[in-house]
Amino acid sequence: MKRIISVLACVLLMASVAVAASPKDTFVFESYGTVRTLDPACAYDVVSHQRIMNIYESLIFFDGSATDKFGPVLATEVPSAENGGIRDDGKTYEFKIRKGVKFHNGNELTAEDVAYSIKRHMVVDQEGGPMWMMLEAVAGVSSTRKDGKIIDGIFEKIDKSVEVKGDSVIIHLPRPFPPLLAVLAYSYGGVILDKEWTIANGGWDGTVKNAANFNGPAFGAEPLQKIANGTGPYKMLKWTPSNEFIFQRTDNYWGEKPELKTAIIRYNKEWSSRKLALQNGDADRVTVDAQYLSEVQDMDNVKLFSVPQLSVTGAMFCQKINPEANPNIGSGKLDGEGIPPNFFADINVRKAFLHAFDRQMYIEDVWNGNVTIPTTPNAKGLPYSKEEPVYEYDLEKAAELMKKAWGGKVWDKGFKMVLTHNTGNAQREAAALMIAENIMSLNPKFQIEVRNVDWKDYTVGYRKFMYPLFIIGWGADFPDPDNFLTTFMASTGPYGKFMAYKNDEVDKLAKYARFEIDPDKRRDAYYRMQDLWFEDAPGLILYQKVDHFAYRSNVDGFIPNPMLDHEWENLKLLKKN
Amino acid sequence: MTAYIIRRLFFLVFVLFGVSILIFGLLSTFSPERRAAAYVTSPKQAENIPLIIQEYGLDKPFYVQYGKWVQQVAKGNLGWSLVAARPVAQAFWTYFPTTLELNLLASPLVIIVGIWLGTMSGVHRDSFFDHSTRIAAIVGWSLPTFLFALILLMVFYGYLGMFSPGILSSKLSLWVANHPDEFVRYTGMYTFDGLLNGRLDITLNALRHLVLPVITQVIVVVALLMRVMRSGMIEEMNKDYIITAKAKGADFKTIYKKHAKKNALIPVITVAGQLVALSMEGSIAVEVVFSRQGMGWWLAESATQLDMPVLMSVCMFVGLVFVTSNLIIDIMYAYVDPRIRLH
Repeated sequence: MKRIISVLACVLLMASVAVAASPKDTFVFESYGTVRTLDPACAYDVVSHQRIMNIYESLIFFDGSATDKFGPVLATEVPSAENGGIRDDGKTYEFKIRKGVKFHNGNELTAEDVAYSIKRHMVVDQEGGPMWMMLEAVAGVSSTRKDGKIIDGIFEKIDKSVEVKGDSVIIHLPRPFPPLLAVLAYSYGGVILDKEWTIANGGWDGTVKNAANFNGPAFGAEPLQKIANGTGPYKMLKWTPSNEFIFQRTDNYWGEKPELKTAIIRYNKEWSSRKLALQNGDADRVTVDAQYLSEVQDMDNVKLFSVPQLSVTGAMFCQKINPEANPNIGSGKLDGEGIPPNFFADINVRKAFLHAFDRQMYIEDVWNGNVTIPTTPNAKGLPYSKEEPVYEYDLEKAAELMKKAWGGKVWDKGFKMVLTHNTGNAQREAAALMIAENIMSLNPKFQIEVRNVDWKDYTVGYRKFMYPLFIIGWGADFPDPDNFLTTFMASTGPYGKFMAYKNDEVDKLAKYARFEIDPDKRRDAYYRMQDLWFEDAPGLILYQKVDHFAYRSNVDGFIPNPMLDHEWENLKLLKKN
Repeated sequence: MTAYIIRRLFFLVFVLFGVSILIFGLLSTFSPERRAAAYVTSPKQAENIPLIIQEYGLDKPFYVQYGKWVQQVAKGNLGWSLVAARPVAQAFWTYFPTTLELNLLASPLVIIVGIWLGTMSGVHRDSFFDHSTRIAAIVGWSLPTFLFALILLMVFYGYLGMFSPGILSSKLSLWVANHPDEFVRYTGMYTFDGLLNGRLDITLNALRHLVLPVITQVIVVVALLMRVMRSGMIEEMNKDYIITAKAKGADFKTIYKKHAKKNALIPVITVAGQLVALSMEGSIAVEVVFSRQGMGWWLAESATQLDMPVLMSVCMFVGLVFVTSNLIIDIMYAYVDPRIRLH
């Protein structure tokens, strides 16, 4: 036994010898996001996007911290009306393609590759994928399929919309689409592939007649799911899903050579372990969620950037709740034991709830002052964002409104309802409790139960109109008011629809502003929509997400951008001292 | 004996069939929408839930879905894992060696330490040693694995800067990635592959990353073994043949080592099946805390993300391991005691 113990002790001693932290030419980032696919046509999450956009490149990208200004990447200049790149009242975009660019496999980039890539992404259009943005711009529809069947002539339309002319690629739109540059910069529609390599690896063969065979692949069946060949500064050295992703600098990169030779992005879900890795220098950066911020703030040799994101969370009033077997509305009547399905259709109820939210206390107590609350869904940092008046915290006013609601019946009878948020989000839970407690303090007959629901059920529940008041967030697909105001307010928008909020003026403005190219007219339309957010009070904006980027102090080069969240890292900018 | 084994193997098929029906049935109690929502990571994709239900036939009757699953499994297709972003069968071979490595190193320690502690505790009943090991066993048994693992991590990695989590250091991980031809992954386990490739530094580095996970795993499982061994020893030491041996003046060490210990080991075989289950359970917390992507971690992630194909396959695998280990125990028993074979 003694011998065994001695051997074990020796092994432990040898094994415990400390090894150096992350090497100087290597960047180690520990996070908990998982990559679903490397196929740009199918990826629709920030983690996959980060990997893809360091390997592949798009025609243009955001200029530093700006979300409305772009810099050229594979295009030699950003098209504009002034340089003739945007013509025909915003219906034609011309991109001059950079020469001397090589893919990682040595093939040279041509205009043909660019046109093929843009078309190929739309042809693939996986179920639940991101191609709706490009399709809306280029084909005027959000999918290549309707009721499970491919729309007649859709591939011909896609094919004709992108044209090669000399060294340029021209995109023809059926009508002006002002957010197109933003879509091409951030989204996957503008990611450029090597045509020859893609076809050789089972991708779309480039012909219209075979396009249907490559449309809507099943999850995991996309041909470029685990392989990549871009023009970017890094190539994929190794990817072990949900474990680690290793980038290696490419030798034939056309641009300035990045400082870092290698980058490892490692999956680590456990916060304590991530924090210790940062503290010990085994990680150069870790993902920090808001609740752990204080643990990193005073850490030695660590610098922290807090970056407001184009992501808004709000509490949505549902004006047409599903009464069928719905425990969230009690009796389903205004008899003191529940609420009627159209309870929130009365604007007095909505306004009373808005007056019951103490913004200042929420910012200070829940977020330690580390958050801003936009006044409308058009978050700060988006174009045409406007400060609107807010329903100040005033319980007397809330009580007055409740007395007026439903002809006084709400106040006399009282009500019971459930307020929901998704499980595991402390900030949302705090907001729900705050609203519920304040409303209940108005009248002892008011009873609100706060309930958390698992995200998977939550997604299903709000879409079935099950929740009277549901808290949910939205992050930008592209930095444009259309992606927020239409989402939250239009009766066809992803949230407007499930709030059953319908205002004809809003719908008209949303549709008009999406296609209007005159910035002044667009601004007026979005300003009016924001005014209507205040007037109609369809929901309550709770906060604009702030992401925290914690780096070891020897890492330089991070440029914050509100479109690039805490799973993102632009590797070519980084340096280690 | 052969007939007995064949009978038991035949029985194993039925057990696995029952397990699969049970798991599939339980998972089918989730609504089609909820299962389709597993493919939805953001509200932006929620529009596609009805299409996903249609495409994967999630609204079809139970027997249709089960039949389809069995058909696919028969073809060797275990489905696609959302968590692992690859086919389940492929992902299995990525994660399994990590868990196997942990348990291969932990199990001998569990057996050695558990049996030794149990024997000594039983032999020196009511001594200081007995009391202290029993208290330690109760603490080890009661303390949640997750918490114990976190404490170890804080102390060793947080304060002492030793034993970082993960599987291999960044430097060596990069070396392996850069030299796929020079470093052959024979087993998928770095400790063994390091030795097989003649890279002792990799073996030692992998061991360094295994110290805390193995300690945690051992502490979790050893308490059960120790308690069983202790009571076995106490029982044996009070039997007539031991008393007679003592009366004849036989050496005390010889008595408990040669006679009592051998007989006391028999009940240990009974709990071996439970030890396998405990190891699997322990692996979940150990792998999550120490950031080791193995089967336990995969199962935990799949459960939270409702990754159906993985839940089905991993549960079946755990069932298979459990049933097989019990079969081996039964065969061992039948070998030891021929009367069992006659039943």
